[in-house]
Amino acid sequence: MLVIKDLHVSVDGKKILKGLSLTINAGEVHAIMGPNGAGKSTLSNVIAGRDGYEVTSGSISYKDEDLLEMNPEERAWNGVFLAFQYPVEIPGVNNTYLLKAGVNAKRKHQGLDELDAFDFMSVVKEKAQLVELDASFLSRSVNEGFSGGEKKRNEIFQMAVLEPDLALLDETDSGLDIDALRIVAGGVNKLRSADRAIVMITHYQRLLDYIEPDFVHVLADGKIQKTGDKSLALKLEEQGYDWVQENL
Amino acid sequence: MNLIAQTRQDALSLFQKVGLPNKRDEDWKYTDASHLEDLLEIGGSNSAINAQSLGMVGLDAYRMVFTNGLFDESQSSLPEGVSIVSLAALEASVSNESSEALAKLFQVSRDEPLFSGLTALNAAVASDGAAVCLADSSVLDKPLYILHISNQNNAVRHGLMLGENAQAHVIEHFISTGEDKALSNCATVVILKSGASLEHSRLQQEGEKQSHIARVEVKQCRDSSYTFHGVELGASLSRTDLVVSLSEQGASCELNGLFVLDGRQHVDHHTRVDHQAPHCTSRESYRTVLDGRSHAVFNGKVVVHEGAIKTDSSQSNGNLLLSKYAEIDTKPELEIYNDDVKCAHGATVGQLDDKQLFYLRSRGISQEAAQELLTFAFADEVLAAMSNHAVRLYVEKAAFAKLPHGADLDGFMG
Repeated sequence: MLVIKDLHVSVDGKKILKGLSLTINAGEVHAIMGPNGAGKSTLSNVIAGRDGYEVTSGSISYKDEDLLEMNPEERAWNGVFLAFQYPVEIPGVNNTYLLKAGVNAKRKHQGLDELDAFDFMSVVKEKAQLVELDASFLSRSVNEGFSGGEKKRNEIFQMAVLEPDLALLDETDSGLDIDALRIVAGGVNKLRSADRAIVMITHYQRLLDYIEPDFVHVLADGKIQKTGDKSLALKLEEQGYDWVQENL
Repeated sequence: MNLIAQTRQDALSLFQKVGLPNKRDEDWKYTDASHLEDLLEIGGSNSAINAQSLGMVGLDAYRMVFTNGLFDESQSSLPEGVSIVSLAALEASVSNESSEALAKLFQVSRDEPLFSGLTALNAAVASDGAAVCLADSSVLDKPLYILHISNQNNAVRHGLMLGENAQAHVIEHFISTGEDKALSNCATVVILKSGASLEHSRLQQEGEKQSHIARVEVKQCRDSSYTFHGVELGASLSRTDLVVSLSEQGASCELNGLFVLDGRQHVDHHTRVDHQAPHCTSRESYRTVLDGRSHAVFNGKVVVHEGAIKTDSSQSNGNLLLSKYAEIDTKPELEIYNDDVKCAHGATVGQLDDKQLFYLRSRGISQEAAQELLTFAFADEVLAAMSNHAVRLYVEKAAFAKLPHGADLDGFMG
């Protein structure tokens, strides 16, 4: 589904990713772990299409198309979803409106009819239960006045409604207490499917206790340094990232 | 000459003495009134304009229609048993004994805050207006919708007097049908007795060659509350002076403003709130969305007088510039002659937020639609305080129609 080859990315002239390669197939759950400053968030932002990241060489192909040629909304229409590390507050824009506009834009792109308001609301209410989000959140402004945990739950709720093929979860576990983490992870687990790939970007092993990955990658110094299974994460937890750095 | 005629004659003399404001006046630094010189003579003819399909059609409200500044009874519908009449009719019928009270409505003085020659001119030449006088504890069960339609120079002067604990919602709406340059010179004098409560909306939607001058004066007694919504969409030049006196303990006011401008429109609001008594509250929030070569001016002055302890005042002004040629001059001013007060103010000028844009696009909303959405959301926040849903919807549609858009924005509001 996603093939990244020898990706080099700079931000403000500073090299962040230095030859990253990664292949992700449908149905797989990957965890990308690494120390702060390794380029984890850069990777997710480049995949989602944020401005300010200069790809100096390498390629990203998504469903056999050049992902880097698509603007952010085209990526979304084609099934890419980023759960933000810091979800943005958008006062005055209704949560439900945002989702309806997003879903219908995607359906239009796929040549499908728009969902009518009634059908849409029943889908939305069902998905809100997935992350135990109160229905009152639907009529509030996007993320405005939400607690840290509510914002993260809202991201997973949006993921459930938008039904992406490739979901990137950028530090979705950070700032969550144990109950919120359990709820968020429970939501993600229910969204695992054979057609969907999930990439979790995280600093800590903790999330992987709740969402079991098929692959664990260690990202350090702009590259994937090691790939393994769940046990790699446990080793990292035990020995810290220094262990990876030392073995570079 | 009776007292009212004398008062208006005095106002005329005052205007003749001071003339039009010019750029040497600090309060008129950014707004050029010199070209109004040719527009001062108000039109005499009451050329009937059919108001049936104009303005907020179908609004559930009492209705007063003014065409070229004159009350048009045939197109109006007023409640029975409540004192809402034409000012001109009242002036003609009033006895000498009771003329003193009415004469006060026309009194102007150079010492008033934000006084200009145009203030005096309005008192001198206003041809008509709404005289609303609500008895103590009376509640106007529906909004009063005052529709002004003009195709020539005109001047109206409204008086809104609310007795103790009386409540009302008054909407003033201004549209023009003429092609030529013309001036509307409007004033509204509001007196709120103890515990009275008024929501006052002003929607200015006049034609593109029109000039609009307005003065709103509010005197508030104990525990009264005043909410103002000023929406500026039309005219080439529009200037409003809003002067609120919180003269007795516990009074509160909320002043909201929204300008949505394009082309070469110029809109200037000067507001002045005087905290003259303890425990009064003022909240002010103005937002502008400026496209083309439009120019907005916002000056918000709050004066906390001696003895006005426990004053609670806040003011914010947000400006969104959609074009590099648009211009905003914003100046919040605070004068405090007293300790023990809470005052805050701030102004921002900017473009759309990149982080918000990216967030929306990452959810599948096109760049163009995301820009529209954020612009509308910014403007709409200040309309959220409007209590009447139908009025708010009308204003939203009118405001959004001025912005370049193509997306379906039905139901976006948070």
